[in-house]
Amino acid sequence: MGSVSLPHPSLSPVKSISSQITSTEVVVIGAGLAGLAAAVRLAMFGKKVILLEKHYVVGGLNSFYARKGRKFDVGLHALTNYPSPSSGKSSPLLKLCRQLRIPIDELKLLPQSHSRITFGEQSLRFNNDFQYFLSQVEEAFPSSMDAFLKLLKMMEQFPAYSVDAEELSTRSILRDSGIDPLLREMLLCPTCYYGSARPDDIDFPTFIMLFDAIFKQGLSRPEDGIRAILNPLTAKLKELGVDRRMNSAVRSIQTKGDKAKEVILESGETIKAEKIISTCGIRETESLLQENCIEPDEAQTGQFSIIESIRVFKGHPKDLSWDETVIFFNRSNRFVYDCPKGLVDLESGVICMPDNYGTNHQTEESKLRVTHPANFHRWSQLSEAQYLKEKNYWEKTMLDNALSYLPGGLEKRELLHQRTELLDTFTPKTIKRFTSHINGTLYGSPTKKRDGSTKYKNLYLAGTDQGYVGIVGAMLGGIAVANNQILRAG
Amino acid sequence: MDKDKVKQIVLDIIAEIAPDEDLNDVKSDIRLRDQLDLDSMDFLDIVMELRKQHGIDVPEPEYRELESLDSCANYLLPKFEAGAAA
Repeated sequence: MGSVSLPHPSLSPVKSISSQITSTEVVVIGAGLAGLAAAVRLAMFGKKVILLEKHYVVGGLNSFYARKGRKFDVGLHALTNYPSPSSGKSSPLLKLCRQLRIPIDELKLLPQSHSRITFGEQSLRFNNDFQYFLSQVEEAFPSSMDAFLKLLKMMEQFPAYSVDAEELSTRSILRDSGIDPLLREMLLCPTCYYGSARPDDIDFPTFIMLFDAIFKQGLSRPEDGIRAILNPLTAKLKELGVDRRMNSAVRSIQTKGDKAKEVILESGETIKAEKIISTCGIRETESLLQENCIEPDEAQTGQFSIIESIRVFKGHPKDLSWDETVIFFNRSNRFVYDCPKGLVDLESGVICMPDNYGTNHQTEESKLRVTHPANFHRWSQLSEAQYLKEKNYWEKTMLDNALSYLPGGLEKRELLHQRTELLDTFTPKTIKRFTSHINGTLYGSPTKKRDGSTKYKNLYLAGTDQGYVGIVGAMLGGIAVANNQILRAG
Repeated sequence: MDKDKVKQIVLDIIAEIAPDEDLNDVKSDIRLRDQLDLDSMDFLDIVMELRKQHGIDVPEPEYRELESLDSCANYLLPKFEAGAAA
């Protein structure tokens, strides 16, 4: 046994590189809501699907995590498109449940109490009854009412939901509408926060979809949070035999001529696919292709990201006389929606009290969530020690700043601090980890591709950069690509 | 197989797709779209379920043949019979 032997394979320090080759009908890249919904639809009708996810949890931006035995949702402030009595069966949420064969009752939706947009001294309240919102606008801006109703009519007639809707600037349409400048800013605030990838503006079709989703339909939350949506989807994937792979990052997409041929994983495995749906974004897909994927190469890189801090406290918000669900606030009369120069922009933000959905006020503890625009690059440049220091600083600053927008908030500061059990924060870096979006953007590239087509015949985009936003939008987008690009073709 | 059976097959599929619709009083000669809340996504699903459950192919230009239960029966019956004979 004196001869030099080759190292035993199992003791080899070199990680074995798989050269395995697999074949399938469809590869879906990304197990966010768009990817999950697309995979379910395809598998429902017999397609052989491999669903790849880089992270170790599903959901993408709408995922979840646990801290000290408590469950947190990453993205979910509100599920929009609540099928309220005044919106009836027109809600896209119902279409979505039908398409995925998930009974809507299974989601156990809790409607919002009521919510508010506050700019300086001016407030507009809304709930899941659109007439109430109209009456609020009339009370606050009586001289704008005629112009506002005219704008609503124009929005109804605009083909916002069509794949080739013109992406006009909402700011310029609102400027020409004749409504009060402050009302314009107040309408932009919730719609931008819930889905604009454009700096300081929102494209008009998305504005209309979000206006309908937030005000005409309404806000709700599944009793069990985002898991109420993710669990039935993953159960269906399992039942339908979808090969779902976690911790499976894609290294590249190989093409030949006008077709995408195969996907190569970081593990070295090659997956040959007849069709590929990429939900990771236009820019992100281009980096896998090492080539632009739409022509001409016009895709822009998104910049908008957020920071969110969460205070977990004993009791219910009602104990502090806080009965609102979501508050969109802005210090001044001019709303700026952009990537800030500093780490965080305190000028405007969103407060959410998820325990004010539904009518159970007996909870042992509750959450106060505060969100502000944040700069991904500034956060990324910090050393680990600086990062923790800044995170702690902003966590406290943001949560205290938000108190000035809550009824009697500043006087209740000490009481709230005494009741606090836990603080937690996620930064643009956290969003990057969950979504793999370049720049940790919340809503991807300002360039959208609604029908999902690319310059490659069998490669489609779905999700964020398809331009249908929110939980409902993402899932409907994934479904639309599965239906129109793959299932219709047979 | 007869026309009533075909109608029942279509109704069963609709019940699966749209469990929130009341199908007790669907009129055979009226467009399904005019009496139920069904949109183009739902019609695609009727086509997909016909293929999956019964091996029947409805090419896209012929989707409009499915507009009412009567037209479904007229259009699909020969397809079911051809399938049974094969």
